[in-house]
Amino acid sequence: MVPLTPDLLQAVTKPARYTGNEWNMSRKRHEDVACTFALSMPDVYEVGMSNLGLKILYEILNRREDTAAERVYAPWIDMEAEMRKRRLPLFSLETRTPIREFDFLGFSLQYEMIYTNVLNMLDLAEIPAYAVERDEDAPFVVGGGPCVYNVEPVADFFDLFVIGEGEEVLGELVAAFVRWKNEGRPKGRAGFLRRAAGISGVYVPSFYTPRYIDGDFAGMEPLGEDVPTVVYKRVVRDMDEAETMENPVVPYIGIVHDRIMLELFRGCSRGCRFCQAGMAYRPVRERSTKRLRALAREMADATGYDEMSLTSLSSADYSCLDGLVDNLMEDFAEDKVSFSLPSLRIDSFSIGLADRMQQVRKSGLTFAPEAGTQRMRDVINKGVTEEDLMNAVSAAFRKGWKSVKLYFMLGLPTETDEDIIGVARLAKKVVDRYQEITGKRGAKVTISVSCFVPKAFTPFQWSAQNTLEEFERKQRLLKENIHDRSIQFNYHDARVSRLEGVLARGDRRLSTVIYEAWKRGARFDGWTDQFHEEYWLGAFEALGVDRAYYNERERRRDEAFPWEHTSPGVSRAFLRTEWDRAVKGELTPDCRRGRCTGCAVCPTIGARVIDGGART
Amino acid sequence: MSGGTPKTVGGYCRARITKDEALRYISHLDYASLMQRAIRRAKLPAAYSEGFNPHMKLSFASALSVGVTSEAEYMDLELAEVLPEQEIADRLHPVLPDGVRLIGLKVLDDKPKALMALVDEAKYEVTVPLCGSFDGVQAALASFNAAKECVYIRKTPKKTREIEIRQYMHGDVCAKEEQGGLLRMTMAIRITPGGSVKPQEVLALLCERYALPVQPDCASVHRLALFGGGKALLSECAGEVRT
Ligand code: SF4
Repeated sequence: MVPLTPDLLQAVTKPARYTGNEWNMSRKRHEDVACTFALSMPDVYEVGMSNLGLKILYEILNRREDTAAERVYAPWIDMEAEMRKRRLPLFSLETRTPIREFDFLGFSLQYEMIYTNVLNMLDLAEIPAYAVERDEDAPFVVGGGPCVYNVEPVADFFDLFVIGEGEEVLGELVAAFVRWKNEGRPKGRAGFLRRAAGISGVYVPSFYTPRYIDGDFAGMEPLGEDVPTVVYKRVVRDMDEAETMENPVVPYIGIVHDRIMLELFRGCSRGCRFCQAGMAYRPVRERSTKRLRALAREMADATGYDEMSLTSLSSADYSCLDGLVDNLMEDFAEDKVSFSLPSLRIDSFSIGLADRMQQVRKSGLTFAPEAGTQRMRDVINKGVTEEDLMNAVSAAFRKGWKSVKLYFMLGLPTETDEDIIGVARLAKKVVDRYQEITGKRGAKVTISVSCFVPKAFTPFQWSAQNTLEEFERKQRLLKENIHDRSIQFNYHDARVSRLEGVLARGDRRLSTVIYEAWKRGARFDGWTDQFHEEYWLGAFEALGVDRAYYNERERRRDEAFPWEHTSPGVSRAFLRTEWDRAVKGELTPDCRRGRCTGCAVCPTIGARVIDGGART
Repeated sequence: MSGGTPKTVGGYCRARITKDEALRYISHLDYASLMQRAIRRAKLPAAYSEGFNPHMKLSFASALSVGVTSEAEYMDLELAEVLPEQEIADRLHPVLPDGVRLIGLKVLDDKPKALMALVDEAKYEVTVPLCGSFDGVQAALASFNAAKECVYIRKTPKKTREIEIRQYMHGDVCAKEEQGGLLRMTMAIRITPGGSVKPQEVLALLCERYALPVQPDCASVHRLALFGGGKALLSECAGEVRT
C-alpha cells in the first residue's frame, strides 16, 4: 500500500482527489480475485470521475467475482511533484496498490491532447512507455474511447485497444486472461496478446506493421494469418438488455458532471459532416422508457443525488422524450430530483421541455448552430435554419431566459469571409430579438467559437485544416464585426486545435514526437494554462517531422489512411459521397426514423437502429 | 434561513456526527452535500425550501477547516413529518459514508435557534511530533498561558491582518507527552460574533513566538466538542440515541 502521509496531503490542492473511499466504491482483496484491472482516464480526478464509459465499466467489471476493478487518475502538477520527490509510484484509489502490480491498466482516450498524460502516468507507475519494452510482469496497457478511431500516433504505447463499446469486450478479455493465467501463462505476454487479438473488437498494434511508400503511408500489414485486416468496433445491440451502471460512485468533492447520468440512447445519425461521434457511434439504439425509469430510480436511491442529466449525443431526439420527462417528474415528485438536458436541439420543443424541467435560468441555454450562414450549415449538413434558431431563442426569451450561448466553428471546408461575418450577424439578430420580445435591452449572448479539426471517419477526413495565420485572421475578422456590447466573444487557442489536427490524422511515426514532447515537459496539454507549444514545436523540429504534412494538406481521393484498420464500420464510399455532397451543399437526411442512407455501419457490424419512433 | 415560512406539521432533529480520518480533507461545503445525499439515501422526509431550486433544510454548527477531524459535528434537520428518534437513526446508519458516524440524535420539540448562533466555544486536541524536551513544552505553554495579549498575524492571499489571540482562549492550553515522541495538546477556543482563531494558528504562534519544540507541519487537529453557553449541544437531550 502506497503511504499517503498527512504532510503529503497537506502539501497538495484538493487532497481528496487521491484518497478514494467514496460511497459505492468497490474494494476487494487482491488475493481473492484472479484479475486486477486499473481503470483510468488520464486527466485529473474531477474530469475522470465524470466519464460515463468508465463508470459503466467499473461496475460491470466489479460485478465479476474474479475481478477487482480500481480507479486511477492523473495526479495534478503539485501531486506529481510531491510523488517524484518522495519516490511514490502511481497508485489506485481503492487499495492504494502500485499500478504496476495490476494485471491490466486501461486508459479511456477522450481527446488527443491528453496523450502526454498517458506517458506521464506510465512513467509515474514505473511502466515502460513503449509496449515492446515491457517485461512479463508489467500490466497489459489497454486503450479505449473515441481516440481509437485513429489510434496510430499512440499505438506503440499500448499492448492492445478495445474498439467501440467496452461493456461486452472487457468481460471477454478478462475471461481470456484468467484462462491464460490458469494454464500457466503459455507463451508469455505475446501468447496472451495472440489470444486477445482473436476477440472481436480487440486491436493488438504489435501484430501490424505500417507500410510506407516514398514517405507516404501505404497500408497496414497484419503479421500472421489469425489477425484480422480490419478490426471493427463492438457495440451493445440492445441497450435494454445490456448490463450497465446502477450504483455509481459518489465523489466526496465536486466534479465536472456531479449528477446522475441517465443515458437515453447511443448513437446519433443526424449526419453532421464534421462530427466524428455522429459517424462513429451509429446506429442509434434507444433504451425503453420503462428501463430508463427503473434505472433512474435505482441510481437515485443508490446515490442520493438530487440532480439527473438525461444524457446522449442529442437527447432531444429521444423518440418519447415528452412522455419520459412526464414520467420521471411524476416518479420523483416527492424526491426533489431535478432533471436537465445537456444539449438542446434548436427548436421550441426543446425550450418547452427545458422550461418544464425548470432548468436553471441563470446559467442560460446553449445551442450549437455551428456556422453563421445557411450555405455553410448546408455544407456541414447541420439541418438547422436561421428561422429555427430565431424560433428557439424567441421561445426561450418569452419563458424568461436572458442569456444564450451559441457554439460555432471557424475554418470549415469551403468557408468564406461571408460565412464568418454571418456568425456576428446571427448573434446580433439574437440580441435584437430579445429587445423585440421583452421591450428592453439586457440579453447576454455568448458566442463560443472553436477551430475546426478534421477528424478520421468523417466526410471531412480528406480536408485540409486552416493554417495558424488563417485561423487568427478569421478570429480577428469576426471580432471586428461584433459591435454590440451584449455579445461576448470567446474563442479557442488555434495553436492547440492545430496540434490536435496533426494528432487526429497522424500515423505511427508520431509516437516518437509525442514521447519527445512529454520528455521536454508537455502534460495536461488540454488545459489552457498548462499548454506549452514550445515543447511540441521543439519535438517536431528535433525529430524532423513536418506538421503541415498531417494537417495542412487536402488528402488525395485514393489516399490510404492510417486509421482504416480500426473501424466504426462506416464505409469509405459513403464518406466520400458525403464529402462530394458537402461541397455541393446537398443535405443528407437522418436515417433514424427515415430511410437508410447507406453508411454501411448496420450490416458491417451486425446491429440495427432501435428507436421508439421508428418501431411503432 | 427559512424566512417567513409558516409552521408546518413537521419536526426537527439534531444530530451529533463525526468527520473521521477518511474525510479529513473534505471542505465544509462538500461535507454538507455529502450529508444531504446520505439523508436522501436514508429516505428521511426532509423539508425543503420552496421555489425553483428547493434546498434541504439542513444546517450545521460551525464549519470545520480542511484537514481537521471531529467527533463533534452538529446538524439540525427539518423534517416534513415527525419520526421517532430510533427510526431516524436506524435509517441513517447504513447509508453514512466512510468517515461519518452518528453519535447522538434527538428530536426537538420546537424550531431550534440556529446552531451557528448557539455555538460559542470549541475544544480541540492537537497531536504533533515532539522535537525537543517536554520541559521546553511546559515552559512555552506556561508563558503563553500567562500572557495578557498575544498578536498573531493572519495572512491570506488577499490581506494580512493582526489578531489578538488571548481573547479567544478559554482556559489554559494543556499538553501531555505521548508514546512515539508525540505531544498531545488540548485547547478551548471561543467562537464570538466578532471572530475566532483556528487551532492551527494557535499552534503556529506557539512555535514561532514561544519556541514550542514540535513539528507543526505534521500536526493533526481534532475537534473534541462544541459548546453553547457552557453546555454540549446535545447534552440536555433526553432519550439521546446512542448508536
Ligand atoms: S447503415 Fe443505414 S440505418 Fe444503419 S446507421 Fe447507417 S445509414 Fe443508418
